[in-house]
Amino acid sequence: MRPETPRSRRERGPKGRVVDDSALAEVRALLGMRERRRDLLIEHLHLIQDEFGCLEARHLRALAEEMRLSQAEVYEVASFYDHFDVVKEAEPRPAPVTVRVCESISCMIAGADELIEQLSAGVDPRQVRVVRAACVGRCAGAPAARVGDREVDNATVEGLLGDVRERRTEVVVPEYVAFAEYRLAGGYQLYEQVRSGALSAESIIESLQASGLRGLGGAGFPPGKKWQFVRSYKGPRLMSINGDEGEPGTFKDRWFLERDPHRTLEGALIAAHCVEAERIYFYMRNEYPGVLEILRREIAALEAAGVAPRGFVELRRGAGAYICGEESAMIESIEGKRGLPRNRPPYIAEVGIFGRPTLNQNVETLWWIRDILQKGADWFAKQGREGHPGPRSWSVSGRVKRPGVVRAPAGVTVRELIHDYCGGMLDGHTFTAYLPGGASGGILPASMGDIPLDFGGELAKVGAFVGSHAVVVFSDRDDVKGAVINLLKFFKHESCGQCTPCREGTDKMVALLQAKGALNEPALRDLETVMRDSSICGLGQAAPNPVNHLLTLFPKGS
Amino acid sequence: MTDQIVFKLDGKEVAASPGETIWDVAKREGTKIPHLCHVDLPGYRVDGNCRACMVEVKGERVLAASCIRKPTKGMEVSTQSERAAKSRSMVFELLASNMRPREEGPDNQAPFWKWAASMGIAGSDRYASKFAGHEQGHRGAELDVSNPAIAVNLDACIACGACVRACREVQVNDVIGMGLRGSHAVPVFDIHDPMGLSTCVTCGECVQACPTGALYEKSLLDKTATKRAVQEFDAVVNTLCPFCGVGCQTAVAVKDNRIVQVDGRNGYANENRLCVKGRFGFDYVASPERLTKPLVRRDGAPRNVDSTKPYADRFEIFREATWEEALTRAAAGLKKILDGRGGKALSGFGSAKGSNEEAYLFQKLVRTGFETNNVDHCTRLCHASSVAALMEGIGSGAVSAPFNAAMDADCIVVIGARPTVNHPVAATFFKQAAKRGAKLIVIDPRGQDLMRHAAHALRFKPGSDVALLNSLLHTIIAEELYDKDYIREHVSGFEALKAKVKDFSPEAMAEVVGVDAGVLRDVARIYATSKASIIFWGMGISQHTHGTDNARCLIALALITGQIGRPGTGLHPLRGQNNVQGASDAGLIPMYFPDYKSVEKLDIRDWYENFWGQTLDPKRGLTVVEIMDAVHEGEITGMYIMGENPAMSDPDQDHARDALAKLEHLVVQDIFLTETAWYADVVLPASAHAEKLGTYTNTNRQIQIGRPALGLPGEARQDWELIVELARRIGLDWKYEHVSDVYAEMAATMPSLKNISWERIEREESVIYPSRAPDLPGDEIAFTDGFPTADGRGMIVPADLLPPDEVPDAEFPLVLTTGRLLEHWHTGAMTRRAGVLDAIEPVGIAAMNPRDMQKRGLQQGDRITVETRRGVLDAILRADREVAEGSVFMPFCFAESPANRLTNPKLDPFGKIPEFKYCAARVERARETAAAATS
Repeated sequence: MRPETPRSRRERGPKGRVVDDSALAEVRALLGMRERRRDLLIEHLHLIQDEFGCLEARHLRALAEEMRLSQAEVYEVASFYDHFDVVKEAEPRPAPVTVRVCESISCMIAGADELIEQLSAGVDPRQVRVVRAACVGRCAGAPAARVGDREVDNATVEGLLGDVRERRTEVVVPEYVAFAEYRLAGGYQLYEQVRSGALSAESIIESLQASGLRGLGGAGFPPGKKWQFVRSYKGPRLMSINGDEGEPGTFKDRWFLERDPHRTLEGALIAAHCVEAERIYFYMRNEYPGVLEILRREIAALEAAGVAPRGFVELRRGAGAYICGEESAMIESIEGKRGLPRNRPPYIAEVGIFGRPTLNQNVETLWWIRDILQKGADWFAKQGREGHPGPRSWSVSGRVKRPGVVRAPAGVTVRELIHDYCGGMLDGHTFTAYLPGGASGGILPASMGDIPLDFGGELAKVGAFVGSHAVVVFSDRDDVKGAVINLLKFFKHESCGQCTPCREGTDKMVALLQAKGALNEPALRDLETVMRDSSICGLGQAAPNPVNHLLTLFPKGS
Repeated sequence: MTDQIVFKLDGKEVAASPGETIWDVAKREGTKIPHLCHVDLPGYRVDGNCRACMVEVKGERVLAASCIRKPTKGMEVSTQSERAAKSRSMVFELLASNMRPREEGPDNQAPFWKWAASMGIAGSDRYASKFAGHEQGHRGAELDVSNPAIAVNLDACIACGACVRACREVQVNDVIGMGLRGSHAVPVFDIHDPMGLSTCVTCGECVQACPTGALYEKSLLDKTATKRAVQEFDAVVNTLCPFCGVGCQTAVAVKDNRIVQVDGRNGYANENRLCVKGRFGFDYVASPERLTKPLVRRDGAPRNVDSTKPYADRFEIFREATWEEALTRAAAGLKKILDGRGGKALSGFGSAKGSNEEAYLFQKLVRTGFETNNVDHCTRLCHASSVAALMEGIGSGAVSAPFNAAMDADCIVVIGARPTVNHPVAATFFKQAAKRGAKLIVIDPRGQDLMRHAAHALRFKPGSDVALLNSLLHTIIAEELYDKDYIREHVSGFEALKAKVKDFSPEAMAEVVGVDAGVLRDVARIYATSKASIIFWGMGISQHTHGTDNARCLIALALITGQIGRPGTGLHPLRGQNNVQGASDAGLIPMYFPDYKSVEKLDIRDWYENFWGQTLDPKRGLTVVEIMDAVHEGEITGMYIMGENPAMSDPDQDHARDALAKLEHLVVQDIFLTETAWYADVVLPASAHAEKLGTYTNTNRQIQIGRPALGLPGEARQDWELIVELARRIGLDWKYEHVSDVYAEMAATMPSLKNISWERIEREESVIYPSRAPDLPGDEIAFTDGFPTADGRGMIVPADLLPPDEVPDAEFPLVLTTGRLLEHWHTGAMTRRAGVLDAIEPVGIAAMNPRDMQKRGLQQGDRITVETRRGVLDAILRADREVAEGSVFMPFCFAESPANRLTNPKLDPFGKIPEFKYCAARVERARETAAAATS
């Protein structure tokens, strides 16, 4: 971590690291005609990381010079995100190939640990770097991995070694409905109607509210109401699409975008029109190289066809940080900064991107807008259960026969999901516990498997929530405490580190959970209290959920 | 007060003003809520991250951070609820769990531990430290002692980011970031570099902000830099920084008659901020090289002495004497010349570092005791040309607005100045203004830190100042961007200017200036059309043979656009020394009595002859460089020099030193045996800034009070008393009981000090002059309605193109320019003897552009020879991209590589300032290294 230390002050120049002319030339060439705007810092870091496989100090220094930022401003951002590898002077560069193996809960129970261990033993570390990765959103294909940009489901040591050997590291883009096809089938006609004024913002908002559509990123806030809020604040306004689907067990947004991306884009254009947003920032997690490629192509197609003006939809690439799924942290990231959630109030509807009123919506939420407006609010609402309007997309993974994204009514139970939608439990496995909403939603025993799953309601009464609708199913072969430790380690790794309760609480919780002997319940409960009451954002507030359930609902600790 | 927000705080109805937080209101109400990340000082943004200040708001799901949460009408807030108290104490327990115990940590008096103790928290027995897994336990956290002044004990760090805001938002030095994530989050310097190898400028703002001592002054720590060693202070004295013209207010902590810590106070000029010199450059006063006994020159000691001799060798030249002998000899030598050849054979150099009272007494001694106006000081070497132009154009040599006015400006021009180095705290305001959106325009041949924040950074060709400025004037006139009404009301000479600059279009000047015409036009437009534009300049403008012309152009810019006399506008020559404004005001210059009253005007002289009770020299005296010439010519044979170091600061140094050696009698009064003092017949050991009481006037026209923090070392005496002693011994009947008596007499001669009594300054700490009433604040913005000239109008004096006196040629192909370094003050007399400062910049350097070095096969660290027509010296070569190609930059503070041996003494005809910024030079590898390289 030290630059080469000059022998004496005499041999040092002006204070600090000197700009290296060749590094500056390389950075300039990479950036080309791109704007040197501060908010593009993460994009520019990606350019360097992609080109050189890491971020060398000399390039960071040069980038700072070129963007007229300080080195600290560049470094603190680069070092915040998992997908950037900062390499100081005299430090080795990472190996040419990186294999990321997901170690999050679904992949863990599918054997990620063994896979990582065996893979690490089977490669030359100078050639291949094996990295433990937080949830990569391929839980139905657990254990999942990524070789370079190639996403791999049901990964095996042999398969991954083969990919490495054959240098199969390029992104694989799945088949999807591209712009021409989408348009041919009537796509963007609705947007034209909206744009022409034939369909008013007010009537659209009314339909959305009648449909019962909820925000599907996890919080469930009704979009219609959100649009009204945003419209009530003085413009200029902006919009963001939250594609940072990082909640362990969640992969529905990827599923939608890998199949029919234009539904989300059309929904977004309609939303932007309704709130008079001047620009849409599409923030897409870097764990989804296939989706990123699709979006690059399709946004370009939109622009080429004149559906959206050039630059109106700006694609922003995440860089490996779960916290950026939190909307205010995402906004910080869009502004080119570390993903630190903001204190509220003010809410982003009033003070969002660059301090402007901002509408933020999840990928799937926008995906449904076209159908709701064309098929009617009622069509949508009635796909739910009594008192639970609308269909939901459940990411189901774990010990079921047919994991995947399933469309089922709001208010469905986990037992129904297992048996009616996912082909039942795996042979030889007995249902024992489940996560109703990813890592944050808590962990419930099978005895609570008949609770209707929806925002609030009965689930809330037992201290759980449905969140992003990521259901992970455990069996008698799984250790609940082990699962809880996995979840808490995830939160510890993903805590932004800004506020004391979350930064220290996740760290100490992991230590207490891993300590030998009986759990120190009072110490854990005190952590739970301060995290829930005093963390800045939902990460720290929800992180104790599984621990609470472990203590309350699994008295034997498993 | 309809906009007051009424809410309930712990059951009591209270009111908040808009913008106030719950914490603010609680503080006002006397309710103490713990806080760590919230730095309750001006300029610090609240961040709400540490969660030490949580309170409960009725009806809300989670607690609120009171430091950032603003109350709303009817809100019910409980600071005392069990839930809130629990969270707060958990936060402290969690943070304490990672640290060493209080008494083993870097600062047992840190706010963190005081709050923790108030909750009964001394650590945690149930949560293990996050450093516990490390091999060395707590020491596994990084200990960074690479900075000479500041230790970083990261195991005490709570990642609250106060240091980041200190560095980035308050001082805007942009060195500290919060690196990594989660429980690894850690403050970093640059790219996670050791502090001492980073771009850190050691301003210490982070130390002042840190709530735990993770960043802490080494001066208060033990030898391992991990544990606080100095506990209670004997005293903390409110005083001033001794260095630059910014005039920062300080709180100086003293233990065992040594300064152990300096903190910034909330003065108008510094808002608690300091720079490395002010915060860490304090130990020079305790240097073993302090003069503690009077010295007299040994009989027969050579007059032409090597003035870079080590202090230890002083007795080869001097012997110690009693005060009686020293003062008698000092006075007798001067008296003898006075009696024999008259006052014109005597002269005095006072000091811009001394107090107003000392300056007043010194010039009075020269004028009444020496019977001559041959009194001057280093203002001659700094802003004499600026003052000449300002006096001529707008009738006043002082700034029209304080530098803080930058905060109200939409356009800020900084030309020929490097404020981040020479006025670091003033620069923080410029950087903040730029961050807030003001357009900063930096014009200088050398690159500098400020340019990163600039809308336009113009690195023009050295010496082409007038061409550049005239092209801006041309654009403003040609594009009719000038303020017709303002010119009609307040300005004369516009038509002459119009005619003069007709041929100076940016297109015609681009080549001469080395800046694109489009940029020049844009700059002119921004300056002229911004709602409020202000100009700051430094020695890059003044230290030229065309220095007065440069300043005239700046004045013309302000006058034709009306960018003066309103908030956020004006002309501000950044004054260099802590009291250069005050010393000039007090008459420490050869042509003026106090308040710039001409010595050659009969009515004024009559007044002073009456006031001082004797006849006075009717002719203006000689200036600094002229005095040295007069010594060579045998016209001046005796000098009294107090706190000045012409052997280092004057141009063509060998010539200046020869003059000192040629004197028949030289009395030097100083705190060190300076290069000048080595030539003295009598050396009088005097008082350092930290040892004396007096008033000082900063660049903003603020008169402030400096108070003694320390006693005098050895037999050293107060400067003002020594001036009085000499005066008495040459026959003047002076009676002053106290410094305030001197102030009172001085103020009686100076209309500018009307309504500003000694008691008022003592009470208010700082008063801006002029002040309209004893109970009204002074006028920050001058010239709100015309100028103190004969006709009340500002006069434009157009300037012509004049090349620098000595341009590069085949023999001397480079441009040598001189200046300063952040760490060193003036000639280095103080700062070279300050441990931290000399550790950061310990060797005499010359800096060149790396490309020029490469062409010559030179490496950083090489010993090189720099030569001009005046002299030759060796220096250590530094590669610096900021130095323009074709140039060499040398700071003039290093006695071992004294840049002024090389500089050109050619003077500006009006300000009599030498051309320090430009002469022709050549460099080569020094002979010994050349030999070493080939062997």
